[in-house]
Amino acid sequence: MLARLIPVSLAFALLQVALRFRDDADLARRLRERDAGAMRELYDHYGRLIYSLIQRMVRNSAAAEDLVQETFLRIWNRIPAFDQERGALGPWVLTVARNRAIDYLRSSDGRMSAGALDLDRLEHPGQFCDFDNRALSLDRARMLKEAFEKLTPNQKTVIELAYYEGLSQTEMADRMQQPLGTIKTWVRSALKVLREQLTEAATV
Amino acid sequence: MTCQDLRDSYELYALGLLDGEEKREIDEHLARNCVDCQKQLKNALAVNALLLSQAPQVVPPSRLKRRVMASVGRERSGFAWIAALAAAAAVIVALWLGIQQRTTDRELSKARLDLQQSAGERDRLEQALTFLNQPETRQVNFGLDKPAPPRGNFFLNPRLGVLLIASNLPALPAGKAYELWVIPKGDAPRPAGTFQADPQGTAMHILNGTVDSSVTLAVTVEPEAGSPAPTSGILFSAGF
Repeated sequence: MLARLIPVSLAFALLQVALRFRDDADLARRLRERDAGAMRELYDHYGRLIYSLIQRMVRNSAAAEDLVQETFLRIWNRIPAFDQERGALGPWVLTVARNRAIDYLRSSDGRMSAGALDLDRLEHPGQFCDFDNRALSLDRARMLKEAFEKLTPNQKTVIELAYYEGLSQTEMADRMQQPLGTIKTWVRSALKVLREQLTEAATV
Repeated sequence: MTCQDLRDSYELYALGLLDGEEKREIDEHLARNCVDCQKQLKNALAVNALLLSQAPQVVPPSRLKRRVMASVGRERSGFAWIAALAAAAAVIVALWLGIQQRTTDRELSKARLDLQQSAGERDRLEQALTFLNQPETRQVNFGLDKPAPPRGNFFLNPRLGVLLIASNLPALPAGKAYELWVIPKGDAPRPAGTFQADPQGTAMHILNGTVDSSVTLAVTVEPEAGSPAPTSGILFSAGF
């Protein structure tokens, strides 16, 4: 399903991530200075991307709007801990958005948040600094999309379950009624393909 | 395990989906500033961001931008509004006192009470804003998944206490109030103050003081004076 939908929307989404990257330092500085105009700019840069991600994950427009609002509020509240010189806003904002949606999904289906503390730690702004400038380039995004399309259907499914539904490998094994070992093989082989494609892109 | 053994696990680790031995290993490698692991984690965060950015694009409703801007601007404009209201009330009271020499003591004390209430409300909002701005404050929402329930957020800060913001609260009969409970793991609920909702069903309640970082928070309906232990079913709750 992801592969079917990617080509239509990819260029726009990736432009948002890739091209905004260079403006992050100035935007982050203004957010830290509590500049409301900077918040408007942050929304213009990432609002559509974040709404699309959350909507894909929760599949409920009203909940998606609430969660987008929570995402931006959290970014606003936590920006003082963000390293404005070395940080990359895009990956941080996307991670915060995914975690809000995961919290929602887990609380709606009763999978109460065993990993809630971990999610909190893993979205700490300090994690999102010192990216290679090329890490989020449009070329790498295109490479990743091409690599994703080469995955087998099972590999695509496990990647979707991990990224968009927040299922652990054990939960995927239950959902797909497959042995845990098989799931782990699919996940690892899929990630390896994606990662290696990016590594090749970086060394070309 | 060596860094090489762990190389396929960083993406799941960064998504919070890794558990067991591999997670502990990566935690340990990172804790001792393993350069290779830090590099792998950085690569994994980039892969994750690129994958997450590929969700099919949907255009958000235009009201969403207004909502987002209001949620970060409201506190400030809220304070300005209340401060202006208080200032305007003060001017009116002063003029009114100047003109109406024979104002009764009873009317004067009512005006003073109004001012105190405005100032009290402003203090409470300032306190809430301080609470929200602390980096260690954590948030759990409730009611989002239900059709027409009370909705809102609990904010927990182990150093400062608990902030509850709720909407869609049902109207209460006379003599009743909402009561917040802090429920430590494996322990009985502890009373954490009573509060009322406004006529629109919105309420904000603050519990000051240190709170264990791993608790369940719940609200029940109790007699106005509060109860030492819950006497009715949980209206809503959330776990930290």
